[in-house]
Amino acid sequence: MTSNETAFPTLPQPLRHLNWRALFGSRELVVAMMILLTSLVAGWLSPYFWSWLNLQNVLIAASMELVVAVGLAMVLISGGIDLSVGSVMGVAAIVMALAFDAGFGVPVAVAAALGVGLIAGLVNGMLISQLGLNPLITTLGTMTIARSFVFILSGGYSFSSIPGGFKEAFNAQSFFQMPNLVWMAIGIAVLFDILIRRHVWFRGFAFIGGNETAALRAGLPVARRKVWVYVLSGLLAAIAAIIIVARMGSAFPNTGTGLELRVITAVVVGGCSIYGGRGSILGAALGVVFLNLVANVLVLLSLSVYWQGVAAGTILIIAILTDAASRRSAR
Amino acid sequence: MTSMSATPIVRMSGIGKSFGALQALREVDFELHQGEVLALLGDNGAGKSTLIKCLSGYYRPDVGIIEIEGVARTLASPQEARAAGIETIYQDLALFDNLDVAANVFAGQERRAAGILGRLGFVDRRAMRRAATDAVSRMAVSIPDVSRAVENFSGGQRQCVAIGRAMLWGRRVLIMDEPTAALGVRETAHVLDLIRDAKRLGLSIILIMHNIDHVLQVAERAIVMRSGCRRGTVDIAGPEDTDARRAIVEMLM
Repeated sequence: MTSNETAFPTLPQPLRHLNWRALFGSRELVVAMMILLTSLVAGWLSPYFWSWLNLQNVLIAASMELVVAVGLAMVLISGGIDLSVGSVMGVAAIVMALAFDAGFGVPVAVAAALGVGLIAGLVNGMLISQLGLNPLITTLGTMTIARSFVFILSGGYSFSSIPGGFKEAFNAQSFFQMPNLVWMAIGIAVLFDILIRRHVWFRGFAFIGGNETAALRAGLPVARRKVWVYVLSGLLAAIAAIIIVARMGSAFPNTGTGLELRVITAVVVGGCSIYGGRGSILGAALGVVFLNLVANVLVLLSLSVYWQGVAAGTILIIAILTDAASRRSAR
Repeated sequence: MTSMSATPIVRMSGIGKSFGALQALREVDFELHQGEVLALLGDNGAGKSTLIKCLSGYYRPDVGIIEIEGVARTLASPQEARAAGIETIYQDLALFDNLDVAANVFAGQERRAAGILGRLGFVDRRAMRRAATDAVSRMAVSIPDVSRAVENFSGGQRQCVAIGRAMLWGRRVLIMDEPTAALGVRETAHVLDLIRDAKRLGLSIILIMHNIDHVLQVAERAIVMRSGCRRGTVDIAGPEDTDARRAIVEMLM
């Protein structure tokens, strides 16, 4: 492992029919090169950057967001958006902690967290697909409601009665001195990356996001598939909550606050379009790694963390600017 | 052009359709012969779209019989019409701009991988790309790179993808709604070539067209409609057939 992006070894297309124009137009490659460049500059500016501990921290922080990003990428590809993921993480984390507090074991606690994700996804999906509500406004609503539930359920307190064995399962370093949770996140990303490119059912998302009328004419069950994409997004947010609780050893009421916007930023930087139909899991993953890397560099250079937002926002705007420019020149 | 078999591939007899007080179609007869390029003309509101929508399964006629290759059919839905071999290419083409040619052509009926992977729902992307490349390469409009998203394509190339999709899905009747509308001169020539190719490749084609020049260039016959009735039929000998042109214009007036 020479750099961080080698963790995602799948290129969008096989090297043997290499298409240079498509390659340089590919957002994945651009972001991968940005990661490389940032890493080189960071290593030159700070002696700590290439330390294993630092890289570990970047990847751990990235992996929680990565799991959420996988779900959000699918939602965006299908032409929707899900703002509720951060709050759903919060509810899932608290519900899991409450289950542990009540003396339940790991299976029940995990099932409870996943149940939260499932219900949240079903509510979002039904409102958006069956009632035809606008995804942005609908999930803004469920985001607000879910965050409120976090405080209702927790009373504003955090919970630290998380069993040691549970924490150990996620934090133990089985391979390459990297905690298991990092490998889980990478596994989830690789799995969904393959599915969305090669599996009939998952490919449907790109059809729906590209042209809903055409998808209907092609015989796709558009309404049902749209419910499912929000269910997947909710479930992945719940998995991210499970990971974060295991990592922290506690469940905080502010779990996932503001995370939805950070992840949407990363996913769009990675090439997913908010207009639907475009993007890949690989791109989303690279976007998450890149933004986490930039945040890390700011910390290493002892710049105020308050500048992180400036950096992330600027990168986002540059990303959509280059996107618009390349689309105009492609015509 | 003369090798028409006795049974028309499509025969519609006595088709009537009303929307409330408005009688859109009155006892219309329509026939499309095997391997024919037929133009359907008429002013706005003449009933040609209604007639076509009865054939593509969007409307159920109030009265009348639709026969496909001599067999009476009720085309209750667009899916049923497709299953009967009738594909409609709309003006908007219904393409997925964000996806490549293979994905567009196979949307909704992907080719599965061999063995267990296929049964699990995994697609064979290489086979689809090969088949799609093959389908579009048989036509006059060249598509340099089938792996690019179709949003980058010209109007003619997009039509080519839409026709390729109809052919690969085994359709025999192709309904094209204003295929040359909103196209430049060169693109129009390409699309007319595509229509000839589609015919050569065994499709029977119904063209809804306003432009009589274009009709004369590709169609062998024209049916003119007016106020929900069939006004008449004109055989077309070629682009220079001034008699046919005069007859069509007269019927349209």
